Amino acid sequence: MLNSLSSAAQVVRNLVLVTLLVLLAGCAKKADPHRIVIWHQMRVDDRLVLEDQIREFMAQHPGILVEQIYKETEELRSGFIVAAIAGQGPDLVYGPADQVGPFEVMGIIRPLEDLFTQAYIDSFIPEATCLYKSHLYQLADKLGNHLVLIYNKDLLPTPPETDVELLRVGKELTRDTNGDGKTDRYALTWNYTEPFFFIPFLTGFGGWVMTDDGTPTLDTPAMVEALKFIRDLRDRYHIIPGEADYNVADALFKDRMAAMIINGDWSWAGYKKAGINFGVAPLPRITSTGIWPAPMVAPRGYSININVAGEKLPLIVELLKFLMRPDIQLRTAKALWSMPTRREAAESEFVRSDPVLRNSALQISRGRLMPMVPELRAVWDAMRPSYQAVLGGATTPERAAKAMQELAIRKIREMNE
Amino acid sequence: MNRPAQKAFIVFLVVPSFLILAAVVFYPFVYNVVISLSNMNLRHIKDWSLVGLQQYYKVFFEPTQPNFYLVFLKTIIWTVVNVFFHVTLGVALALLLNQRDIKGRPLFRTLLILPWAIPQYIVALTWRGMFNYEYGSINLIITKYLNLPAVEWLKSPAEAFLACILTNVWLGFPFMMVIALGALQSIPHEFYEAANIDGASWWHKLRHITIPLLRPVMVPAITLGTVWTFNSLNIVWLVSNAGEPSDQTHILVSFVYKAAFNLYRYGYAAALSMVIFAILLVFSLYFMKKTRATEAAY
Repeated sequence: MLNSLSSAAQVVRNLVLVTLLVLLAGCAKKADPHRIVIWHQMRVDDRLVLEDQIREFMAQHPGILVEQIYKETEELRSGFIVAAIAGQGPDLVYGPADQVGPFEVMGIIRPLEDLFTQAYIDSFIPEATCLYKSHLYQLADKLGNHLVLIYNKDLLPTPPETDVELLRVGKELTRDTNGDGKTDRYALTWNYTEPFFFIPFLTGFGGWVMTDDGTPTLDTPAMVEALKFIRDLRDRYHIIPGEADYNVADALFKDRMAAMIINGDWSWAGYKKAGINFGVAPLPRITSTGIWPAPMVAPRGYSININVAGEKLPLIVELLKFLMRPDIQLRTAKALWSMPTRREAAESEFVRSDPVLRNSALQISRGRLMPMVPELRAVWDAMRPSYQAVLGGATTPERAAKAMQELAIRKIREMNE
Repeated sequence: MNRPAQKAFIVFLVVPSFLILAAVVFYPFVYNVVISLSNMNLRHIKDWSLVGLQQYYKVFFEPTQPNFYLVFLKTIIWTVVNVFFHVTLGVALALLLNQRDIKGRPLFRTLLILPWAIPQYIVALTWRGMFNYEYGSINLIITKYLNLPAVEWLKSPAEAFLACILTNVWLGFPFMMVIALGALQSIPHEFYEAANIDGASWWHKLRHITIPLLRPVMVPAITLGTVWTFNSLNIVWLVSNAGEPSDQTHILVSFVYKAAFNLYRYGYAAALSMVIFAILLVFSLYFMKKTRATEAAY
């Protein structure tokens, strides 16, 4: 009896052990000190370039395995937060600088000053090394993430420099080519659903989203004027489509059904691939204010997970230094028209002479750095409903500006309670 | 096998599934309950503390945009309309496909299951494109072939919500059709033969044979369909592009998702998800009891 009991107990013990081993097998990979995991939200073209660079790094560093995993922007943020809070997650997380604020507040990324010398950090252009609460949390390989005016050179040889010119060429370019009473080609398009695309208009009329301490500044005359301006483009001048999200706007430009599009630096490689003979120009100046529209500009780069073990840090530094090398950045710039962040690359002959990059740099110089504070999230969330309501004809610009401000204040309070 | 060895074997069979259930169901559930009683948010993600029922109070009484009760009402409309059409369309098509004299039955069956086989992400984005005011195929059909004015599907709140419902109806009826078809095929043909001898009409056979014998299969399917539809985030989120226009197309789950992952209000979102859980639990128990779904059919 005792024998059978003890053998039964042994069987159960062994089987439970095997079960646990199977269940926990997935965790074994994490402990590998020679494996670096990157989470990013790069589009396909950027991803392919990164893949090549990682392959080159691994060839030069046998024994180190670097894995890059794509995640959609929101999935990347929420997934990284959950994983890092639980002591897990990728070693490096890549994205625009606005994610640094929430990650820092949550304490899930680490400062980088102790890993890189000041001389090394100084070798980057100043806009690329944004400090948050006096610390550097992100090493950027690209500067931009900014909106510009992209135009089809076959339809429009010279881009408009002012809003008055935009309206003039807009009327010429908007056409009903088959006479069925419907517009077959619009002069301009952009993504109406995201307020990020509205920022150049807001800044063109002298507005901005928040003060330096994170207080929203949305209920302003500039906001009202900017909302009126885009509403007029659609309802009074009829030079933009009635409805367009990112995919529709992108498709209209690629199908030559829109002569111009307001889009970011991430889209240019796609337009080249689509065979569009395109040019890049700064956004047209608003004549009534005399101000150039200032899109939000942000460095894009890598942050290090707070959970990365000490012995792995030198490898990560090695990888980052490789990815940031001026020659690597220049190669990326040639493939993607991205703006390099190392001085040596940013001041190179190629960047200064390439027409796309030259105009991109001009637009960046007229842009404004995207705030890194978490409150920006609440501001976007507060702007979106009213911005869409104005374009949907459901509210007036005045009411929209007031509603945005009130909602932003409430959301910031809820976020920080 | 002697008794201790038999007991050990039973334990062995139960332990792995219990461990997995504990890891993926019990632990997250209990953790969610704890978070719902805490102040966990952006500023208190690691140093959160228990605050009692504060988050539940906020769910029911805090003014939100959109309003919680309005979102709740929309969720009920969303669920009832979707499940109604899933079931009626599914059963109707199953009845048609169950006819023995229909030619090309396998082909029709395959075609009708297609919506279910396509990934939801693709379905949602394709329908979103089809609902575009100027270039979408739906408005092109409405204006060109029906001579009706184009509908602003994605710009107006009611129309955008209707667009989400239409997409989800298209996506959801095959599940009910497959379930109903399986149930129909298991009804003994002798019942219909006896009814034919008695001179029963089509309607009488449907009412007194088909529907009662479909019930034990359809009630659990409807319960499941209701819970799935109530908690269906993908279609609303993707077709309406996260609640557009102006956050007017949210249902409770998309509202929770936004609170949790856009604004980092984890405690609030956990409390709201517990409220959703309670609603669904009460509904399921009530519905199963009322419809006597667990009773034998024969």
